Amino acid sequence: MTGLPDTSAPSGLAVADLTVSYGGNVAVEGVSFSAPVGVITGLIGPNGAGKTTTFNVCSGLLRPVSGSVTLLGTDVTAKNPAVRARLGLGRTFQRMELCHALTVRENIALGRESRVAGGGVLRQIFATPEQRRVVAEATDDALESCDLGGLSDRLVGTLSTGQRRLVELARVLAGGYRLLLLDEPSSGLDDEETHRFGEILKDVVATRGLGILLVEHDMALVMDVCQFLYVLDFGRLIFSGTPAETRASDLVRRAYLGEIDLVETGA
Amino acid sequence: MRGLLPFLIVGVTSGSLYGLAGVGLVLSYRTSGVFNFAHGAIAAAAAYIFFDLHVTHGVAWPLAALVAVPLFGVISGLVMEQVTRRLVGAPEAVVIVATLGLLLGIDGYLFVQFGSASRAFPDFLPTSGITLSGVQVSYAKMVSIAIGGASVAGLYAFLRMSRLGVAMRAVVDDPRLLGLTGMPPVRVRTVAWMVGCTFAALSGILLAPTLGLDALLLTMLVVQAFGATAVGRFSNLPLTYAGGLGIGIVASLTTKYVSDKPSLSGLPISVPFIVLVVVLLAVPVRKLPSSKLALRGLVARRRTLPMPVQAPLLLAGAAGLVMLPHIVGSKLPVWIGTMIMVTIFASLALLVWTSGQISLCQISFAAFGATTLSRLTNGAGLPWGVALLLTGVLTVPLGAIVAIPAIRLSGLYLALTTFGFAVVMQNVVYGSELMFGRTVHATVERPQFWFLDARDDVQFYYVVLAVAVATCLTLALVNRSRLGRLLRGLAESPTMLVTNGLNTNTLRLIVFCISAFFSGLAGGLMVTQTSALTADTFQPFQSLLWLAVLAICGTRLLGSSVLAAGLLTLAPAYVSGFSAEQQTLAFGLSAVVASIVVANTGRLSDFFRRVAADAAGRRRRSPVGARRETVPDMAVSHP
Repeated sequence: MTGLPDTSAPSGLAVADLTVSYGGNVAVEGVSFSAPVGVITGLIGPNGAGKTTTFNVCSGLLRPVSGSVTLLGTDVTAKNPAVRARLGLGRTFQRMELCHALTVRENIALGRESRVAGGGVLRQIFATPEQRRVVAEATDDALESCDLGGLSDRLVGTLSTGQRRLVELARVLAGGYRLLLLDEPSSGLDDEETHRFGEILKDVVATRGLGILLVEHDMALVMDVCQFLYVLDFGRLIFSGTPAETRASDLVRRAYLGEIDLVETGA
Repeated sequence: MRGLLPFLIVGVTSGSLYGLAGVGLVLSYRTSGVFNFAHGAIAAAAAYIFFDLHVTHGVAWPLAALVAVPLFGVISGLVMEQVTRRLVGAPEAVVIVATLGLLLGIDGYLFVQFGSASRAFPDFLPTSGITLSGVQVSYAKMVSIAIGGASVAGLYAFLRMSRLGVAMRAVVDDPRLLGLTGMPPVRVRTVAWMVGCTFAALSGILLAPTLGLDALLLTMLVVQAFGATAVGRFSNLPLTYAGGLGIGIVASLTTKYVSDKPSLSGLPISVPFIVLVVVLLAVPVRKLPSSKLALRGLVARRRTLPMPVQAPLLLAGAAGLVMLPHIVGSKLPVWIGTMIMVTIFASLALLVWTSGQISLCQISFAAFGATTLSRLTNGAGLPWGVALLLTGVLTVPLGAIVAIPAIRLSGLYLALTTFGFAVVMQNVVYGSELMFGRTVHATVERPQFWFLDARDDVQFYYVVLAVAVATCLTLALVNRSRLGRLLRGLAESPTMLVTNGLNTNTLRLIVFCISAFFSGLAGGLMVTQTSALTADTFQPFQSLLWLAVLAICGTRLLGSSVLAAGLLTLAPAYVSGFSAEQQTLAFGLSAVVASIVVANTGRLSDFFRRVAADAAGRRRRSPVGARRETVPDMAVSHP
């Protein structure tokens, strides 16, 4: 393995020696990686490689058998998803989790509002004017970053898949997180939409200084936006390196054989 | 041991029939994805058909049984398939309302047709028998046990040996396999419904001789099958049957042990529900089959009329409400009831429509409110107003208790747990000193203070009106506050809220507490209106009717609540010849229709949108003309 970044840096998400099993089946074994703030890190691999499992452990929806998850210098392995979110970790879902009965704006605002409300009874019932201002500003900001201003009063149920993916991204941006986990954000998008999505990602990392861990199937997008890649296969980390190194790796190509020709798509 | 044996035999007999009903329920639930709350009502209907043919019309019992069990089972199976097919893709609450509606519709019809009084059911099987170590065991019992066991064994063989059976077993195991079996899904589902309904019918006519012919009792007793299905974790057929047997035996033995403790006499009948609640609370959630049904926000959006229209309407409405006692005359007590029901329905709508939680135990909150107010005014001697407010506050812990299952469970399982809770409350807690006590009724005198003398209906009306208005205003505020936004998020995507940092357990706790508070208030008002109420007023069955009526009136928080209250209380008072039984029938069937409509609104509007798009396209000679309405620079994708 080459070019492994310093995992001890407290500036992002670090996963060490992670093992997860469902019943007797080991889904992820001994995986370590890190996703620093300020860059986009990719987590790729064929179907069933354990990407989403790893993701769910990072956000706290799944408990690992062993291993640790460190978020911005804090060990969060035993923390629940809500606590991790309040510490600065946001995520989107491959199967989008949107409220179809709410407008685009309300959906996006829910990201910040949930985080502000947290676990307090009174905070969940009332919003102070100060909190309301914070939520409104974050929402406006996210709407603008994702270019959704024109749709803000539309019901999410009436949007296309591409637009919904952007609403999910905007909601996690409005949350004001330091680190975002994006789970296959381009699935269901066509080439043009995917390209636009990539541009937005690069833009928000540059302007907001946050870190992104991206699980993605679309190699063109991954090669375009990621600074560093980890490759999973059968629950193990088989390779890590820059997109160029990954593209050149025989090992990676073999893992993907029959699925995708990295050399051509990456070009 | 000699003393236990008779109870054991009774337990095995009824348990075998609960198991039979439970197996039918699991089979149809797993193949269709719809948990049939009307399963017990089908059993009751079969018993009535048998009774009508055999006793009233003198048909020989084997022929009557043939009509009441296989024929009726097959027909109701076909009907169930037709109804549930139209619910595909609907939110879980809507599916639950649909089968609850069927339950009410069937029971309502039986009430209308045969009266709600219990009748003796003939022992059509021989009551003579053999003596087993000094205990008489009738042939009827042996035949019941044998039929129960043989039917389940027969089903088991069918599922192992026939091709259709294997396909069905695959689907029971994992509903997603339905498409892979190579069998037409409709055929698999239809047969499963037929078998399920036939098993229900069979258990109905075999249980009736010992229970008597009583629609409500039969409906509720086959609901005992719920406990059996929980033991089988809603998917395992042999375990379900074993669960039914176990429940029958435990319930029967409990009867023996509580025979000298009258305060616990409701315990045996609650055993299946206690089992149900315990299993649902103890089994890890991931071991319960997850629902295929999608979460979808149900609460309709608030539509505000422009101020020049709204203001006069509000004024006219307010004037009407204030002048009401002088308009409606002798019907005033009905209108007082309406105002009380507004509070109940609003507390229910907040749970069901706004936050997507299901509660079938609002009646327990109301009953607790009634008895608590009685205690606070008569016992502690508090002034009525203070006592009423305190009643609401004291009902909150009850809401918190119900919130515990809500934290673990949602949808169907929450509905079953809350219903189980309501039944256990009725059978065990109502009779205790905590609530109605041995006299099984609660009394509260109408309040008198300062200028107010609420012994007069007109003045009491204003008190109740004030509470209803205060409830509506509070809930309107809640709906517009942060809490309202979070609750609407909870209805559709609790995972999203959690991963954004919200503690959804707290949120669920809050909403159940608020709902319990208002239901408790309403219960206090109910008992104050009539000065005295018996525990019978607060049957869990009422909760089912309330949810059905609310569903008929749409999914608005306040609009639907007001409409539902009016429909439930005013319709029988103003439409002559509209009895409570006919009301149950009408509301049940309307609830079925309403759920089918709600389940298909998306599809309907999609259809109209497509029609509109086609029309627009033809006009513009562009096939995608109507769809081009998106973010600039971004093409629409068609997943």
